[in-house]
Amino acid sequence: MQSYQLETTQTLQYHLADHYQIYQRVDLQNGDSHWQSMESPQPVTPLQKLPISSPKQFFFSERENLFSFDGECFRETVPEPEPFVLFGVQSCDLTAIAYQDQFFAEDPYYQARRKQALLVGFDCLTPCEYGFCHTVNAGPGVNPDCADIILHRQPGGDWLVLVSSLKGKQALRGLNLPAADSQALVGRDQQVKNCIEQFEQDPSLAQGIDQLSNETIDNDFWQQLGLQCLSCSGCTTLCPTCSCYGTRDFVDDTGQHQERFWDSCLYESFQREASQHNPSEEAGARLKRFWTHKFSQQTVKAFGRHGCVGCGRCEQTCPGVVGVHSTMKRIVAYQAESAPC
Amino acid sequence: MLSLTPMPTELVSYYNDSEDTRHFCFRLLDPEAIKKTQPGQFFMLHIPGIGAAPFTFTTPPDSRGVFYALIKSVGKVTRALFNQQAGTTLGVRGPFGTGWPIKTLAGQRILIVAGGCGIAPLVNLTETLLQQNSYQSLALLYGAGSQKTEMLKAQRLRWQQQMPMYTVLEAPGQSELTGTPVDVLDTVLGQLGEFPTALLLCGPEIMMQKMAVKFIDKGLAESSIWLSIERRMHCAVGLCGHCYLHHSYGCADGPTYQWDHYQRLSAGDTDPGLVIPSQI
Repeated sequence: MQSYQLETTQTLQYHLADHYQIYQRVDLQNGDSHWQSMESPQPVTPLQKLPISSPKQFFFSERENLFSFDGECFRETVPEPEPFVLFGVQSCDLTAIAYQDQFFAEDPYYQARRKQALLVGFDCLTPCEYGFCHTVNAGPGVNPDCADIILHRQPGGDWLVLVSSLKGKQALRGLNLPAADSQALVGRDQQVKNCIEQFEQDPSLAQGIDQLSNETIDNDFWQQLGLQCLSCSGCTTLCPTCSCYGTRDFVDDTGQHQERFWDSCLYESFQREASQHNPSEEAGARLKRFWTHKFSQQTVKAFGRHGCVGCGRCEQTCPGVVGVHSTMKRIVAYQAESAPC
Repeated sequence: MLSLTPMPTELVSYYNDSEDTRHFCFRLLDPEAIKKTQPGQFFMLHIPGIGAAPFTFTTPPDSRGVFYALIKSVGKVTRALFNQQAGTTLGVRGPFGTGWPIKTLAGQRILIVAGGCGIAPLVNLTETLLQQNSYQSLALLYGAGSQKTEMLKAQRLRWQQQMPMYTVLEAPGQSELTGTPVDVLDTVLGQLGEFPTALLLCGPEIMMQKMAVKFIDKGLAESSIWLSIERRMHCAVGLCGHCYLHHSYGCADGPTYQWDHYQRLSAGDTDPGLVIPSQI
């Protein structure tokens, strides 16, 4: 992995802007931030709070046409975006993109966008409020397999640039940055380690994940938890790895079309059939499947990791207090109560 | 890359079967679009501007791309289909899913149990088995609500010339056997003589569950039972998530499951409407 020194990120941003549409995280007055297309690159601000929406929508669009029909022929409507860069993605969200890259490996709509994207990751240096990325091997340092270029803010304010893909190497061509020395890499490891040590210790996360992974939790627990789930889809919408979708056909002046849109396996009607048979009628059954799907051994077998990247957005948004931290605490408490004396 | 775009398909003709049920004849405009199918596999039928749903082939596509499906009008898509005129261009994707284990069935004493429109995924299988004639014995137990709703009367009469056939209707006095297939199983097994070595099920999930458990109690191996399940589907290629059965997707791993696999998956669910074997 090649490494360079960089005084200010704007040098890199302006260089990339010659070839890519730049998207950055923009801070809002209320302390939140969101992803936005930039006319011209803006200075990078330290991350105060994880953006409430992950960059999932850049690849798996919240709503998109799949095909159109003109009365005789069906025409696939695969998008053709210009090259773009997501500048400053956190390690958890990058891990989620790598997960979805596998899930949507054969999906032409996802891949049409994905192949046009350059991912510039930022190492996190301080824990975010709900995050536990280190517990699920998704941060706070960016995994080189998940980004094209990694930026690491050094104590003096300069940046260490790590090139982690051929695409990243090509994107830096012509920038002529000075090489970083090996001490810079040691310094990065130390800062990431310091960040991990700052995370609040919550043993229930690892314990709960173990219980879910072994599928040892009985149905009574899920029925109890289901009472608190409002089936609102807040968690599945914000989850950077959730990928369920529905389809809808519609007619407009240009013909007949089918679009897909983000759906949620936590909706009561998600599996309801035309006959009204519904295999997952109860919220508890849906929660059980949601959480075991995230943390099952089958998911690890299929994707090489859990389906959760520890961003904590589900905890942040859930009005019923059954996000990941709350659920894991409840699992650990329930299992302790149920354990034979 | 996979494709989510349908292939243009002509609705050639249709004829009524039973109440709210019709046989539809379709023709793929490109006969090469679907080359080979297995009995029990399915296709997605798109009604442009309305929606799509999964259906089974009762007769698979021939060299001209012509195929048949037996469809009941139940929801938005099927109601719209029943309003289409012959000659209309619709869309088809497929074939999808895992079919019945034809090779494994050779040399076996096979009992097919179908409930209601669950007979549709068993039509192509039955025709194939009769044609191959490689089984030891073959019988069908079919259950429906009443004479009005029982399906495939003509086909079943034809099959009856070649194999034992039992029909049970829930409406009293409309058939020799009254009730559900589960109710009359012992009577049917008594008449069959030899106990089956392979059981194939398709119908309401609760009926299939009860039937499988009865057979296991009577000594049939779990691995000798197969069932075809129904699930809501949007993509049919394992992406949209709607057809999940615990860790499995019905569109790809199913709709045909071996009982022991299905049972393990079902035990992971808590559908209150289903009879989980361990609770029986």
